[in-house]
Amino acid sequence: MEQGSLKKHRRLNQNHPAIFAVQHFCLHDGPGVRSIVFFKGCPLRCAWCQNPESWKTFPEVSFKAHLCIACNTCVKVCPRQVISAPGIRDISACDLCFTCVDQCPSGAMVRFGTDYTVDAVMDALRPEFPYMQNTRGGVTFSGGEPTLFPEYLVDLSVQLHEQDINTALETCGYFSPDLDLRCLSDIDLVLFDIKLYDDGLHREFCGTSNLMIKKNLKRLAAQASEKAGPPVWPRMPLIPTVTDTADNLTTWADFLKDIRLSFLTLVPYHNLGSSKRQWLNLPSAPNYPAMTDERLQKAKLLLEDRGITCFAPGEEAWERAGVSG
Amino acid sequence: MNPPPAQAALKQPEHAEKNYFSASLTVPTDRITAIREQLLHTKYSICLERPMLLGQFKRSQQGRRAASDHPLIRRALAIAYVLSNRKPKIYDHELIIGNMTSKRVAANYYPEGGSINILEDLFRLENRQIPLYLSTREKWNLARIALTTSLSSVGAKTLLRPGRFRHFLDFFRAKRYFITEEAGIAHQVGNYMDVVLHGLCRSDQVARRCLQKKTLNDGSPLSVDQEAFFNSVCIVIDGICRMAKNLADVAEMKANAPGLPDGRRRELRASAAACRHVPYYPARTFSEGLQACWLVHVAMNLEDFEQGMSFGRLDQILYPLYCGDIKTGRLTPVTAAEIMASFQLKTCETMPLYSQRIDQYFSGNAVAQGITVGGTDAKGNDVTNELSGLILDAFAQIRTREPALHVRVHKETPSWFLEKAVEVLQLGCGKPSFFGDLAVVAALESAGMTTEHARDYAVIGCVEMASQGRTYNSSDACLFNLPLCLELALNQGCRFMRRNLLRQRFGAPTPPVEQMKTFDDVVAAFRRQVEDAVSEMVRVISWLEHTYRTVRPTAINSIMTDGCLDKGKDVTWGGGMYDLTSIQTAGLADAGDSLYAIKRLVFEEKRMSFSQLRDILKSNYAGYEPLRLELVNKFPHYGNGNADVDAMTQLAADIYSDAIRAHKNTRGGRYVPGIYSMTCHIGFGRNTGALPSGRHAGARLSNGLSPIDGLDRSGPTGVLRSAASLDSHKWANCCALNMKFDKKIISGPAGKKSLSGIFRTFFDQGGMQVQANVLDADMLREARKDPKAHPGLVVRVAGYCAYFNDLQPDVQDEIIERTAHGAG
Repeated sequence: MEQGSLKKHRRLNQNHPAIFAVQHFCLHDGPGVRSIVFFKGCPLRCAWCQNPESWKTFPEVSFKAHLCIACNTCVKVCPRQVISAPGIRDISACDLCFTCVDQCPSGAMVRFGTDYTVDAVMDALRPEFPYMQNTRGGVTFSGGEPTLFPEYLVDLSVQLHEQDINTALETCGYFSPDLDLRCLSDIDLVLFDIKLYDDGLHREFCGTSNLMIKKNLKRLAAQASEKAGPPVWPRMPLIPTVTDTADNLTTWADFLKDIRLSFLTLVPYHNLGSSKRQWLNLPSAPNYPAMTDERLQKAKLLLEDRGITCFAPGEEAWERAGVSG
Repeated sequence: MNPPPAQAALKQPEHAEKNYFSASLTVPTDRITAIREQLLHTKYSICLERPMLLGQFKRSQQGRRAASDHPLIRRALAIAYVLSNRKPKIYDHELIIGNMTSKRVAANYYPEGGSINILEDLFRLENRQIPLYLSTREKWNLARIALTTSLSSVGAKTLLRPGRFRHFLDFFRAKRYFITEEAGIAHQVGNYMDVVLHGLCRSDQVARRCLQKKTLNDGSPLSVDQEAFFNSVCIVIDGICRMAKNLADVAEMKANAPGLPDGRRRELRASAAACRHVPYYPARTFSEGLQACWLVHVAMNLEDFEQGMSFGRLDQILYPLYCGDIKTGRLTPVTAAEIMASFQLKTCETMPLYSQRIDQYFSGNAVAQGITVGGTDAKGNDVTNELSGLILDAFAQIRTREPALHVRVHKETPSWFLEKAVEVLQLGCGKPSFFGDLAVVAALESAGMTTEHARDYAVIGCVEMASQGRTYNSSDACLFNLPLCLELALNQGCRFMRRNLLRQRFGAPTPPVEQMKTFDDVVAAFRRQVEDAVSEMVRVISWLEHTYRTVRPTAINSIMTDGCLDKGKDVTWGGGMYDLTSIQTAGLADAGDSLYAIKRLVFEEKRMSFSQLRDILKSNYAGYEPLRLELVNKFPHYGNGNADVDAMTQLAADIYSDAIRAHKNTRGGRYVPGIYSMTCHIGFGRNTGALPSGRHAGARLSNGLSPIDGLDRSGPTGVLRSAASLDSHKWANCCALNMKFDKKIISGPAGKKSLSGIFRTFFDQGGMQVQANVLDADMLREARKDPKAHPGLVVRVAGYCAYFNDLQPDVQDEIIERTAHGAG
């Protein structure tokens, strides 16, 4: 598994993230009706990840075999002739010109990641502003890991604030502690994803240590309570047999209480991500048991016994984190 | 279900406000549950009482004498005979009485209209998609009535004449258009305010005074026609009163029957007393107000036919009575909601009569008896009141396919009300639909109404709108197939299909595509085809209008429409204050997206010659699947907020609108365009060839103002943005924008806030109408497989709601497939 070393990512040009989607009418990632800007590049490699297209920082070509009509257009148009048959591409020789994607009639070849300038993202978001304002919604930065691109993030959130649009940041928490505070000054809400409490397990399932993540969460929570930073709202993907174990839930509950967070969103596992891995020619994700109602209730009970109120995505009582609603 | 009082920004007296918002009004009482169960478990049938009474009248001495009378009087006498001789039926538990047909749930048979088409199904009535149950004897009767009256229908009288046979065929094949006006005009929202406030006696007195003085109100002398008109008014009012009296007699008889609980006895006596008073005299209580509306509604149904007969703004009409009753303690919000629910359940007693063939155009068994709530007064001030909410609450108790509920939204619409409407939508019945006052009022003004009258609009049936009690709309006069005109424009007026042995030209002789050098030439040819189809359609409609005047005038409708008594003219003679003929089209998005594709492929990118494209379309994309997929996947489509392609949709809409607006009807009224399609986008689609949008020949067209199915890829706000960006001021016959939301996504309080927020934004941006299904796709699939799984599942089809089980299979599939918004 490719290790997402922080150093490597810091070397990126912070002003040119690849954006892999701007999705409108999202109701589960912060208050109101929101648009999500998905940044490409993530330091974590969670085994269950549903957005594998968000892992790498550079643009990628993917292939949806079920849509392919075998018209061979991609083979014919490739200027470097690196495609021998639909879906079979010599990745090392491909210079990512995306001619094949542009010409593919069926939509089987898809591009993930485009260099959007801040202005271009603003243009994509602008028509949605009235819908956000009338529902007290806004824009959520997600990914991937948006904090890989702090300068870009600042530019974008400042511009959104100028337009009176509120902003939320969804983060995996894996960023350097010296991440510019300025980076968060124009963020109205941080959705902080937590996964496994045990460092060994976190390394095993997510590919990195979680010490920095915990440290960051603690720091952000402290800043939030002193009103020195944006409100923080923790979220946890509930992966059967991995994150929903009693041990993991209770240790997190104690940690959250320690840092005075008494609420948590539980995001139940679904396996929509698995076909995406095929498209990207990645090994498929492990199969976890389905998330049942029973499991969910059990997890909830465990957490609520320890004073953590659980919410389903989209049903959060945001005012508990101090978000003005 | 009710918001806490703190949220309620009502301008009503405090006591009323407290009562309403603290009461739990959405839980059905035992009475309402019982009536609802009874209705849901009754098998559908056909009622033959009306045609039999009409036959009886014709054979009677009075009828034979009437044959030589003025047509207006002849018709009034026949209708009055039906009203006064039909057998009254009162069902258990109901608080509002008056049967719509002779059976619990049945379709009336209208020999004057299109009911004869049911003969196509005579031998499979029980095995249709919507089974109808008749005894063998009734089937014989049905066949006899259908055959003996077959030539008396308006359609037959109009078209089965020398020189009109070609038009008859055209009409029958229903390809370029489908003239629904042949079945009847109906589609009316009468002046129920007048019925409740003054009773029919006022109209009666006006008519009598004019007859006595032999002058109109303005003093000008009466013509023979006008005298006949005023006579017809008196005759039908007398008929309505007799119908009410007969009902009262039966109610009293029932009340005196032994063994009845005292409570029910009192209710029946109250109903009897009400029916002896209203609708002739002004209503004294809330309950009498509803009773008056119902009786007149039944009369209007029996006079014309059942489609789109609507009640208008009941929250405004009944509000003074409601307040009065609350004040005196006669009513509480709970009892008022029960009466309202009982009233709404009455609307489930009727259904339309379509054969399977016709059903593909109007699938869903809906007649759409509309109730409009919310909105503004004539000055533009918000008049949403607690009765507006209570009408929605009452529907939440019953959740049936009828009535149709319409919510008016404007800048000052209180959020408790909009959120309550969304809560009802969340129940999953496809109701209510939402209308933006800003756009609707502008459109009605463009149709010639004053601002004050336009602001008093109510919705007719599905989506059509009228200044209530002042307009003769003939809405839903004809359905139009816009994409077919584009097909004709690309092929010199002929259809693409190969088996055109006679090489018959179907449309106007436009030049071959080889001669079209610019995109403007294409637009000109398209315009020409649309104009040609519209002219042909208008010609047939004008013949129908002539027939209506002599065969099927509607005196009751005329009483309910301002202007008629002043002018001394029946509505079919042009008596209404505002007179319109309203047309609606299917396939707007197909036409717009296709124009865009032609422009880009042939004229901008010059990727192929125009004749090449035409040949590809003629072959239905045979061998050109990559191109077709490219058009579908890579070309932008309407419904995603893309300005370039939305502009083409606007162009198509304008070509259509201008062609319609260029005509006048024979009553002196205007033609107005609308953009909605019932389910005719499926029927029309079967008859339309391949389109440059990437659509295969025979596939269903886009419905109403909605994008092509599955091509709205930017989520629901993208659809709303595209729709709101279109200039709708010419669409005085409204439009229908269908959306579907996954129940899982938009349930709960957060979903309620989000949906009401995006609807409000849509209307702020000038949106005209939006309707939504909140559904669970799994549930629908289950119902598709096993009709018994969800018997009461109500979905919104085009402008109306239907039980899912009543829909044709391909319509069911469409509903399932429609983009599940929010699923991303």
